[in-house]
Amino acid sequence: MGKPDKEAMKALRKQRKAYIDRAQQEMKKQRKLIKAIKEQIKDEPKTVPRIASEAKLQADQVLLYVAALRKYGQVVEVDKDGDYFTYKLDAEA
Amino acid sequence: MKETLRLQYDALVIGGGIAGLQSALDLADQDFKVAVIEKDATIGGKMIRLSKVFPTLDCASCITTPKMAAAAHHDNIDLFTYCEVNSLDRSQGRLKASITQKPRYVDPDKCIGCRQCEYQCPVYVPDQEQGGFNLRKAVYIPFSNAIPQLALIDVEHCALCGKCAKVCPTEAIDYFQQPEDFVIEAKTAVLATGFKLTPMDQKKEYGQGQIPNVISSLQMERLLAPHGPYQRVIRPSDGKEPDSIAYVQCAGSRDLSLGISYCSRVCCMYAIKQAMLLSGALPLADITIYYMDIRAFGKGYEQFFQNAKAMGIEFVKAKVGRIEQGENHNVLLRIEEQEGDGRVVRREHDLVVLSLGMVPDWNPAGICPVGTGDDAFIKCVRPKLAPTLTEMEGVFVAGVAAGPKDIVDTIAEAGAAAMEASNYLNSSASGRAA
Repeated sequence: MGKPDKEAMKALRKQRKAYIDRAQQEMKKQRKLIKAIKEQIKDEPKTVPRIASEAKLQADQVLLYVAALRKYGQVVEVDKDGDYFTYKLDAEA
Repeated sequence: MKETLRLQYDALVIGGGIAGLQSALDLADQDFKVAVIEKDATIGGKMIRLSKVFPTLDCASCITTPKMAAAAHHDNIDLFTYCEVNSLDRSQGRLKASITQKPRYVDPDKCIGCRQCEYQCPVYVPDQEQGGFNLRKAVYIPFSNAIPQLALIDVEHCALCGKCAKVCPTEAIDYFQQPEDFVIEAKTAVLATGFKLTPMDQKKEYGQGQIPNVISSLQMERLLAPHGPYQRVIRPSDGKEPDSIAYVQCAGSRDLSLGISYCSRVCCMYAIKQAMLLSGALPLADITIYYMDIRAFGKGYEQFFQNAKAMGIEFVKAKVGRIEQGENHNVLLRIEEQEGDGRVVRREHDLVVLSLGMVPDWNPAGICPVGTGDDAFIKCVRPKLAPTLTEMEGVFVAGVAAGPKDIVDTIAEAGAAAMEASNYLNSSASGRAA
């Protein structure tokens, strides 16, 4: 598909408004969450419970986003600390 | 008005899992033209999503991927993924299937599977391919060995920001794509529509899917897979490496309260397999299987069970009555022992796996005149002598679509269904598709 027609895109946005609004709200929340996680692990590797406790987030949410950031090459797993693995931002990302 | 596309084949296979692929390959190797219809965006079915198979502990992907590639590259097979079958009727000696191609919002002729769209997309969505333990993007390729390697857009989560279209090197993104109906005509068909697990949320006593560290057996398959959500086994609530893992057998089978009276036949063996894999991945972890009976009926299965016991996996003959959230994300089980004095005891584990049973993934009602049994699986009209025959002439059934069975039996039955279809084609007067 070449560059879509402006009017057609406008009509499509109107048609999918409910989905788009929901996706945009979700995106906002996700950006905030990812920023908070990245902030925690930019200088030193941390475990999921430590990130969750210091960023005041839920541990399962932190693990979900750490897993996704790892998948998309932004976070790496480092060492083990007790029963937990630690994660840090990938310097090359 | 646009005319509906009509395609002619010798055989139609509904379902692109291991049963459908085996039937399609066996028919195609006999020079019949075969169309495979798959509802997902990739072929491979449940098997491509497994870690390893019992009792050999071969890598599931190493067996399935070559079959997927063979089907994709076979001159006599055409794959139709991301399609729904609306109806399958017989008239004037031919089967007619009405099919809808669901929109991917990506031009399949242009997409090169480079994933640049996926990397640029700003919206994260829970990835059900990884048991919900990881995220994908709103535009995505299902997994790394998906066939075909084509992206698709999940419009319900798409913000229509245009980033994917901007980075696509082949201008493949098409936000305006619509569903397209087409018709396939064939002389015979094989139904290989597979199964799904019994839902997690049905049993109140087991937490109805609300306890974070109570997971399904297919979720555990993903945790054990090399390309799993965490690339290791950790528990989903907080990332702890579990020291104590329990399996609850018959969690969705042999349970009249769920309306499932039958045994799903594979749960004992997959639980033993997973327990053995966990012993390898987490050598210090305690692994317990709470069971009513162990059904190790296939070739080499009893030895596999004995090996698991020798490895130190604890088998406790007991019925789990209740599962509750414990402290520190742990899970509390209330069990009634079925050996000794039959007492009720409480045990605590880091992670609990429900060995859920199998239910059919497709109901033919309203689509084709093929009957189902009391268990809702497709009815076989001659279960002993010709177990792949259905109530519809020239339509055969293969794999778990006909009832719970393991991969070995599924592949054998898929071969049998292909031979029945082949005999049917050879005995018919009108010959092969052009």
